[in-house]
Amino acid sequence: MNAEFVALLRPYLKYAGDQEISADAKLRDLGLDSLRAIELLFAVEDAFDVVIPDEQLTDATFETPGSLWTVIEKLSAPSLDGCA
Amino acid sequence: MITEDCLAEVCQAAEKHARQADLDARFPEAVLDAMRQTGLLGLMVPAEFGGGGGTLTDLADATIRLGRVDMSVAMIFAMHCQQVVTLAKYASEQLRAQVLPAIAAGQVYIASVTTEAGKGGSLLMSESPSELADGTLRIDREAPMVTGGLHADGFLITMQTPGATSPTQVDLVYAARHQLTLETRGDWQPLGMRATESVPMHISGQVPDWQVVGEPGTFRAIATQVFAPVAHIGWAAAWLGTAAGAYSRVIKHARSDAGRRQFDPSSQLVLLRLASPRARLDVVHALLKHAICVVHGQQDLSAAPVQTLLNTLKIRAADECFEAVSELLLLAGLRHGYLTQSPLCLERTLRDLRSAALNYSNDRLLLAGGSLALMDSEVRLA
Repeated sequence: MNAEFVALLRPYLKYAGDQEISADAKLRDLGLDSLRAIELLFAVEDAFDVVIPDEQLTDATFETPGSLWTVIEKLSAPSLDGCA
Repeated sequence: MITEDCLAEVCQAAEKHARQADLDARFPEAVLDAMRQTGLLGLMVPAEFGGGGGTLTDLADATIRLGRVDMSVAMIFAMHCQQVVTLAKYASEQLRAQVLPAIAAGQVYIASVTTEAGKGGSLLMSESPSELADGTLRIDREAPMVTGGLHADGFLITMQTPGATSPTQVDLVYAARHQLTLETRGDWQPLGMRATESVPMHISGQVPDWQVVGEPGTFRAIATQVFAPVAHIGWAAAWLGTAAGAYSRVIKHARSDAGRRQFDPSSQLVLLRLASPRARLDVVHALLKHAICVVHGQQDLSAAPVQTLLNTLKIRAADECFEAVSELLLLAGLRHGYLTQSPLCLERTLRDLRSAALNYSNDRLLLAGGSLALMDSEVRLA
């Protein structure tokens, strides 16, 4: 997870307070509900210039910062390698 | 094994007590006794624990039958089955071995405790903290509505996970009646669903930590995979049965000697008003059967198309069944539609079905539906 991603997450996690957001924290426990998940999705897609396919928009993807970051990394990998 | 005779016996008891239970707003204990004695209470207990090993289709079929005579009884039964299916899938070995055979033997009727004041009806949140010390979990919470709470032998209760840092960290805990102190905090005088006797209660007590159902903090997953889907299927079946029963009574009346004088089959108005409720019921029935197939066939029910379908089942069943009976009232007229003494029982049925859109609010599910729609740009149909 990079710092930009963690900073992007924080406004959507109303119970996170000032605590560090670890890769294996439960996003739902930190306050991400289904309405906020949509807002987070749009923010992630804008910030990282990716489109997360419908079939990956599951509870598993939004379970932890780590699981969401893994999806983002995979989607942005080709362009990072210069293969896009 | 749950036979047709068992179900018929419970339906007979429900029919006998429905009017008085509604009048008194009291739980139909005689009907619960019939469920205990016939084994119906154990329908959804897996066969290896001595139960009926029922499928979701069996649950829906039995609930529809009960709904035809009394919606309160159908909801009491469906909600109990929801608790049983959840225990069978997620409870620890120790808890399953202790509780499931007792349910199968008709000794344990389980009530659900998920309501709390101040959380807007959200199933996935709890404002009630729990404490864990030396392997013992302390429960202490208010519950504004507990269906059958005065008569249940066991309770499945949502609580905050011990040490929770947010209200979304929720556990589901099983507690037997003897482990709890139960105080009734008020009366039950609702518009309909009166025989569910869903009184406000204060619930306190202590249980060993192995009575937490599933891993601590995982209630959300349990709710997504089992608790909510089975609730929506069970409720839809109860509402469908209720409306189908009312419809059947109206048609039988229309074909009786007295009815033939009231309903003229050459009247286009009568024919149109007879046809419309049927279409509503067939739509709900098709949706119910399809939802059951999808739940049986999917490993992960969290995908947006599946969640949407399950929510649509609940919303449409609530609306269509209420509308169907509302139309039946207009067709039957004042005497047979509006009066409490009418043997068609449309008035009670309408009051009962008015609760359907509120029993986990349709509006809340529609809001979730908006978010789910944005998660599914391909509009994949489950």
